[in-house]
Amino acid sequence: MSEEKNVVSRRSVLKGAAIGGAALATGSALSAESASAATRLKGSTVKWTTRGGGATGDKIAKAVNDAFTKKTGAKVVAQQVNSDDFQNNFAQILQGSPDDAFGWMAGYRSNHFGELGLLADLTREIGHLKSTLPTAAIKGSTSPVTKKPYILPTTYYPWALHYRKSMVKDLGMNPESINNWDDFVKLMTLTQKKGLVGYSLGAKGGWEAMGTFDILNARVNGYKYHIDLLNGRAKWTDARTKETFKYFAQLIPFMNTNFMDISWDGMRDLLLQKKTGAMMMGSWFANDFKAKSQADYDDLWVVPFPQINPKFGRDTIDAPLDGISVAANGKNVSGGKALAEFWASPEGITEAVKAGDTNIYVSKSFDTSSYDAFNKQKLAVLASASNIMFFLDRDARGDFAGPVVGPAIQSFLQKPSDINKILENVQAQWDALPKN
Amino acid sequence: MKTAATVKKNRSRRSLSNTDRFTLTAFVGIPTLLQIILLWVPAVVTIILSFTYWNGVRLKDIQWAGIQNYKNIFVNNPLFYQALKNNGTWLAFFVLIATPLGILLAYQIDRGIKGHAFYESIYYLPVVLSLAVIGIIWNFMLQPGGFVQGLMGLDIGNAISIWGNPKINTWVILGVASWRHIGYIMLLYLSGLKSVDPALKEAAAIDGATEWQIFRKIIFPTMQPVNIIIVVITLIESLRAFDLVYIIYGSPTIFPLLNLLVFQNFAGQGISMKGAAYAVILLVLCIVPIITYLRINFKEDLK
Repeated sequence: MSEEKNVVSRRSVLKGAAIGGAALATGSALSAESASAATRLKGSTVKWTTRGGGATGDKIAKAVNDAFTKKTGAKVVAQQVNSDDFQNNFAQILQGSPDDAFGWMAGYRSNHFGELGLLADLTREIGHLKSTLPTAAIKGSTSPVTKKPYILPTTYYPWALHYRKSMVKDLGMNPESINNWDDFVKLMTLTQKKGLVGYSLGAKGGWEAMGTFDILNARVNGYKYHIDLLNGRAKWTDARTKETFKYFAQLIPFMNTNFMDISWDGMRDLLLQKKTGAMMMGSWFANDFKAKSQADYDDLWVVPFPQINPKFGRDTIDAPLDGISVAANGKNVSGGKALAEFWASPEGITEAVKAGDTNIYVSKSFDTSSYDAFNKQKLAVLASASNIMFFLDRDARGDFAGPVVGPAIQSFLQKPSDINKILENVQAQWDALPKN
Repeated sequence: MKTAATVKKNRSRRSLSNTDRFTLTAFVGIPTLLQIILLWVPAVVTIILSFTYWNGVRLKDIQWAGIQNYKNIFVNNPLFYQALKNNGTWLAFFVLIATPLGILLAYQIDRGIKGHAFYESIYYLPVVLSLAVIGIIWNFMLQPGGFVQGLMGLDIGNAISIWGNPKINTWVILGVASWRHIGYIMLLYLSGLKSVDPALKEAAAIDGATEWQIFRKIIFPTMQPVNIIIVVITLIESLRAFDLVYIIYGSPTIFPLLNLLVFQNFAGQGISMKGAAYAVILLVLCIVPIITYLRINFKEDLK
C-alpha cells in the first residue's frame, strides 16, 4: 500500500487536497454535531443491510443491532440482500436511496466509491477505534489517494493452501511441513499417481483462479512487484510476469481437466470427497466441512502457499479485509456512522460472536482463546505474513480486474502456449484505460 | 399544384371530428411520447456516452474519449470477436434450423397428424418457462456433480467438461435455447395457420398440387404477416441472447455474447463506457437488418 502513495499523480494530489479541504470545513461542523449526537441518535431510525449470509447472517445482524438499540435508543431497520446483486448494483444503490450502513469490502471497492463521494468519510470513527485496531488494518481501510478511511475493518480470512491431513499422511508426507515448491510438487505428483486430482482449480466464474495467480506472483516476484503490476507501475509483458505464468503452467497438468466447468463450490466438494490433493482457496468454506461432519472438519488443514523464491519466502498472503461502510447519501448519516462504529467495536464483535459468527476479527479485543485447531492455524497463517494483499479484484481497479485479467487467466489456462500474446493483450487493455 | 392524392388526404383529415382528433392525439401521442422518453432519449444518451470515459457516478467526471472505446473493443478485446462469433452462430442456427423446425412442427400439427395435441403440449411447455429458469434447469442437469453426470457415474473430479468445453458448449447452449425457441415459433405459426382458409388448400389439392407445392405456393405467401413477425423475432432473440448464458456461467467470459459484455462493463465495480459502446454496436446490429428487411417487405406490399 505504501508504494501507492509515492506514485500518486499531481492531479489526484490536488483532488485529494480539495476534498481534504472540504472535509476540514465539514469536520468542524461534525464536532459540534458530535456533542448532541447521542441525544439526536435516540429515537432516530438507522437502516442496515446485511450482505448475504442466510439465517445466520440475519441472526448476527439482529443480535448486534438490538444491542445497538439498547445502548443508544436508535431503532435499526435491517434487511438482507443477495451479495452478488448488491455488488453489481452498488454504484446505483449508493446514488439512489441506500441504507445508512452495510457490510462491505476494503481495497479498491471501498476506496473507489469513497473517492467519488458516495461513501462517508469515517476518519472520526476509526479514530475512536484506534486502540483496538492493528495499524495494518487501519492502513488497509484507508484510501491511498485521499488518505481517508471509507470502511471500518472488521473481519478477514486467509486465501491459502488447503488439504486434508489424512490424505497427505497416506502419501507418506508430513502434513505440517509442506513448505517449498518441491514439497508441493511432490504432494501433487503422489496424489495424481493415485488417480486423483493433484491440484484442484475452478475457473468458471473468472475470479477463482486469480487467487492462484496472486500468490504465485507474490512468491516469484514479491509483494511490491505484484501491487505495482496491478496498479500499472509494472508491465504485464515484463519477463518477471511471464516467469510467474511459467510456474502457473507447471500446475496445469496436475489440475482437474474440467476447471472451466466448476467454481469454488466444485473445488470445495472435490476436497470434501477426498478427490484432490490440495487447493488454493479462501478459508470461508471450512464451515461446510463442519456441517458435513466433525471428522471432516478435523481433517482439514491450511498452510501458507509454499515458498518459491527464497528472497521473498512466504512473506505475503491474500487476506481480503471486510468491514462496515456508511453511505454518504443515506437518510441518517450520523446514525449510520454510529451503527458502523458499534459493529466494529469490541462490544459489537462480542455480540456477533455470541450469535454464531465464525469469522476472524482484526480487532485486538477479539478473543481467540476458545479457538479450535483449524481456526488457530488460520490465525497462524495470517500472522506469518508481513504483507497483506486483498485479492486481485480488490487490489486492482474494477474496470480492469474482472473484464480484463479474469478472461486473460481463463484463456491462459485453456492454452498456456499463448501466454505472450495474452499478456500483450492485457497490457494493451491496461494502456487503453482512462487515466484519472 | 396539388395532386389528387393530397387533396383526398386533406379532405379526409378535415372530416375528423374534434373527439376523433382528441382520441387520435391521445392514442398516438402518449405512447409516442413515452417511447421517446423511455427509449429514444436513453438510446441517444448511450450513443453519446459511448464516445466518452465515465465511471457512471459524477457528471463532472465525464471526459471526451473520441473513438477510444470502440478502438479498444475492436483492436484489443478478444472477447468481442468471440461474442460476435457466438451471436452469429446463434443467429445462423436459429434461422437455418430452429425456426424452420418450428414451422415444420406447426404445419404438421395443423394437418392434424396422429397425437397432434400431445406434441403440441410437449413443444409448448418450454415456452412458458423463462430462459433464466431454463438455464437453471439445464445447468443442474449438465454441470459437474449434476443429474446427468451423476447418472453416468461421474463425480466432480472426472465429470465431462460441457459448459467449459469450447468444442461443444456452443451446440449444447444452442440446443437448450432451441428447446424453447422451436415451441415459440410453432405456436406463432400455428395461430397463423389456423386463419388460412382451408378452401384454398382444397382447391389446390383438387388442381393436383403436391403437399410441398401447396405449402410453398399457397400457405407460405398467405402467411406473409406472420412470416415477418417470425423473421424479426428470430433476429432479435439471437442478438439479444443473455439470460440463459448468464444464469449458466455467471460471467461473460467463457461464452461471451454482446449483451453479456454490455452488462459486464455496466454492472459492478468497474463501470466503463465501453459498455455503452458495446450497446451501440448491438443496437446497430439489431436495427440495420430489421429495418432493411421491413422496408423491403413493406415496399412489396405497396406494390
